[in-house]
Amino acid sequence: MSYLLVLLITVTILSTVTVSLNMVVGYTGQPNLGQSAVFGIGAYFAAVFATSYSMPFWFCFLAAGLIAGVAGALIGAISLRLHQDFFAITTLGLNFIVVATFQTLPFFGGATGLYGIPLPTIAGYELDYPGLAVCSLLLLLCAVGVSLLVNRSWFGGILQAVREDETLAASLGAPVARYKSTIFVISSIFAGFAGCLYAYFLSTVSPQTFGFNDSVLFLAMLLIGGSATIRGAIFGAVLLTIIPELFRFASEYRMLIFGAVLVLVLRFHPQGIIGEDSLIARWTANVFTDKRARP
Amino acid sequence: MTYILIQGIVVGSLYALIAIGPSLVYGLMGVLDVASAAALTLGAYLLLVVFQASGSVLLGVAAALVLTGAAGWVFQKSLYVPILDRGPIVTLITSIGVYICADELFRLVFGPLQQSLGIQTAIPDLHIAGVEVTGINLLIIAIGVGLLLLTWLVLTRTRYGVVWRAVAQDRDIASAVGIDSKKVIGGVFVIGYALSALAGILYALKYDSVIPTMGDVPAYKMLAIIILGGLGSPLGTIAAAFLIGLVETAVVAQFGFVVPRDAIAFAALVLVLLIRPQGLIPSRVVRA
Amino acid sequence: MEFRILNRGVVTAVAALAYAAFSGFAFAGSDEPPIKIGFFSPQTGFGAPDGRSALAGAQLAINQVNAANGIDGHKLELVPYDDGSDPKQGATIATKLTSQDGVVAAVSGSYSPQTLAAATIFQRAKTVLVSAYAVNPGIPKAGSYIFLQDVNGTVQGRAGAKFLADKGIKKPAVISIDNDFGNALVEGFVAEAPKLGMTVVSTDKNQFGEKDFGTIIRRVIASGADAIYLVQYVAEGKQFLRDWAQADGKLTLFSTEGIDSAGFYSIGKLADGLMFTTNLNRDSKSEETQQFLSDFAKAYDFPVDMVAASSHDAVMLVVDAMRKNGTTAADVKAGLDALRDFNGATGTFERFTENREVIKPVQIQVFNDGKISSAGVVSDPAIITP
Repeated sequence: MSYLLVLLITVTILSTVTVSLNMVVGYTGQPNLGQSAVFGIGAYFAAVFATSYSMPFWFCFLAAGLIAGVAGALIGAISLRLHQDFFAITTLGLNFIVVATFQTLPFFGGATGLYGIPLPTIAGYELDYPGLAVCSLLLLLCAVGVSLLVNRSWFGGILQAVREDETLAASLGAPVARYKSTIFVISSIFAGFAGCLYAYFLSTVSPQTFGFNDSVLFLAMLLIGGSATIRGAIFGAVLLTIIPELFRFASEYRMLIFGAVLVLVLRFHPQGIIGEDSLIARWTANVFTDKRARP
Repeated sequence: MTYILIQGIVVGSLYALIAIGPSLVYGLMGVLDVASAAALTLGAYLLLVVFQASGSVLLGVAAALVLTGAAGWVFQKSLYVPILDRGPIVTLITSIGVYICADELFRLVFGPLQQSLGIQTAIPDLHIAGVEVTGINLLIIAIGVGLLLLTWLVLTRTRYGVVWRAVAQDRDIASAVGIDSKKVIGGVFVIGYALSALAGILYALKYDSVIPTMGDVPAYKMLAIIILGGLGSPLGTIAAAFLIGLVETAVVAQFGFVVPRDAIAFAALVLVLLIRPQGLIPSRVVRA
Repeated sequence: MEFRILNRGVVTAVAALAYAAFSGFAFAGSDEPPIKIGFFSPQTGFGAPDGRSALAGAQLAINQVNAANGIDGHKLELVPYDDGSDPKQGATIATKLTSQDGVVAAVSGSYSPQTLAAATIFQRAKTVLVSAYAVNPGIPKAGSYIFLQDVNGTVQGRAGAKFLADKGIKKPAVISIDNDFGNALVEGFVAEAPKLGMTVVSTDKNQFGEKDFGTIIRRVIASGADAIYLVQYVAEGKQFLRDWAQADGKLTLFSTEGIDSAGFYSIGKLADGLMFTTNLNRDSKSEETQQFLSDFAKAYDFPVDMVAASSHDAVMLVVDAMRKNGTTAADVKAGLDALRDFNGATGTFERFTENREVIKPVQIQVFNDGKISSAGVVSDPAIITP
């Protein structure tokens, strides 16, 4: 059933981006509205190398991650100078600037975009949809793994301290700048890898594919699912991809429903559906707690 | 040259009208309200509907301003104020969610096609320094400049201005001194949304077009303008609005359509912020 | 606990919805299974006006065929989707059409980015896709199952240049929408212009939603151009004409099929004298064209345009192939390859080229007093061969 396969690939790739976004938003608390820009940078550079330069898949994949990582370093640097709302709007602006660049420079195919990206080949074996699905799943698992690693590590602990109270953490000697920049880079590298897979999957890239609306979508996925949690990131991505497909017969109302869900969840249950301290999380904890009476 | 100046001020005036409401809101609550761009569209559609039903432009304008202001009051009471303590990300995304809903509702009710107002402005055209300025542009300039003066006057010379600045600085202490901050917040939303509606009406009159997506570009551009002007500083916002209007027009006049227009506003923003993170005219309100 | 009840209710509802969605629309219950033709167009988003025309044109074709007893007694069924003016949806819709809905062929009633994304899928699924009015030259390059019904963008641009040059224009300026449609036309125009003795004075590309053309108009007038090649869609085109009326310029204005859209008519007198390239000749003596125009006027209350005509013809191409060859996916492809002398509302053509494009003369139409009529045609083979 290749429709399910296409859905699976879409959901997995978008989940990877959301998980990568969570690395920044969840751990540093900074509202990053520019994840779609790095996602797009990864996709576009992979597309350019694959079509104009006929480079093999592994090269495009690595290049996408690398260049996206550089972009991430830039964003990280900006985050050091600007906070919260200033930062949010600046990353918002980055979306527009990146899209304008894709649209204007012939190197990126201009407003037409790039098409005809061939299927990826690994070790001579051409990957069709099942292969892409496997790749995306592996990437997602990597992203989740790295997230967990950061979470449980000393690195993660410092980041959480920074999130709670940056001044205090700095005064205690935490290398705030270095750590913040690092997490931005890691997050962007994964978004870049995901972008590369997405470009190969769609076989075309065009400037409108990676606009500001998608940055909002990723952040919405994260918030609705449950911010600062990996499971929330994946759940949000799955929900916001599957539900519109289920509702195709009511496609007139898709965006309306999306907006309404966004508003309702944030208004009445801002922890997200399965985030920390959400009803489901508390219920699960309740169910699995040992309630035997203790003397 | 004169043309660029006039055109730039016209564009800037419209931007100022849209940005002043959210700027006042931000100064007060630290919240970025994208949904006020929906007020723009709402104002335009209300004018269209009332005008078509009654034939009176004045009635249409009045209805648009009053009803949109009321909508602003309802919106903040039911949605915004309860989530104030959830942090800036949540409120920003919520306001975006509201904007998306509003956009879609307009499309579902009025259809996706552009509609013409069919209203002729009775204001005569003028010749200024060799350039013909249409009546509607004159009106817009007058309103824009008037807004600038009015804002400065109100904020610095009237009791309302003092009250706003007090609540903006510290809500709790303002309450302790007897100021009902809830009323101030409500009032700011009403005024801000009514001004956005006015901007929507002027847009609709100037371009003779009402379309559900008319708020899209102003929604995000106004965020750039607010930040550029210095968050929480209404005067800075208006100054930034005029600046962006002039820069956009000047760039097109000099280079043609060489870069997407929206990118100019944000490029300017990024540049200014990297050099001067507080914005052009920073507010004296310190936001953590 | 109320949460548990809510939870169960939600789970049941989602499961029911999932079942409904994935089981497809198998409730038709007719004796003869209909032949399904897939279709997608922008019903929401900025492309909604063109989407409306496209769907209308396609549906009209289906209705006409079914009224004449279908194909050997089998009724046709259109399976339409809304792509929301979003390229990403092209791939999902294409997959749905080929793997779930069982269509034997499909028509794109949408713009190029969506069509491009869908084309790859259709090619991989070995199902024919005919592009009604998306004219990016990359579309037929997606593979042997992808056909372009409308004259491609580069050819239209060339035709525009030829027509202007024949009118004595020497220094045109280009003001175009910045997307693949605009780029393709401008490319053709700018490449052909020097060969015809014209010098393109300037090329400016604006974004969707641009409302202020006053500044750019003044700039162009000051540069000494004698014509403006205006490649725009309805909304931007209307704003341009409003600003043009203010600017009082004496240049020749020439436009393209982007404004050949129902929503443009409301501009009224401001468009008087505006000529444009397109594929629908309202004054055509051809029976197919006149029949289409009158059927459309009877069925719909909004004006006909080239989008509707193109979608109509794209569907009729598939029907033609099925009538001559058979109703499986492979039959449709073979039928289109073997097609000869097709007469459609948008003109006649001899056959598809080996790149699956068409060679049709480019119509020049003109607005006057709210009506569109013919102002010429470009049929020079050197120009119109892709």
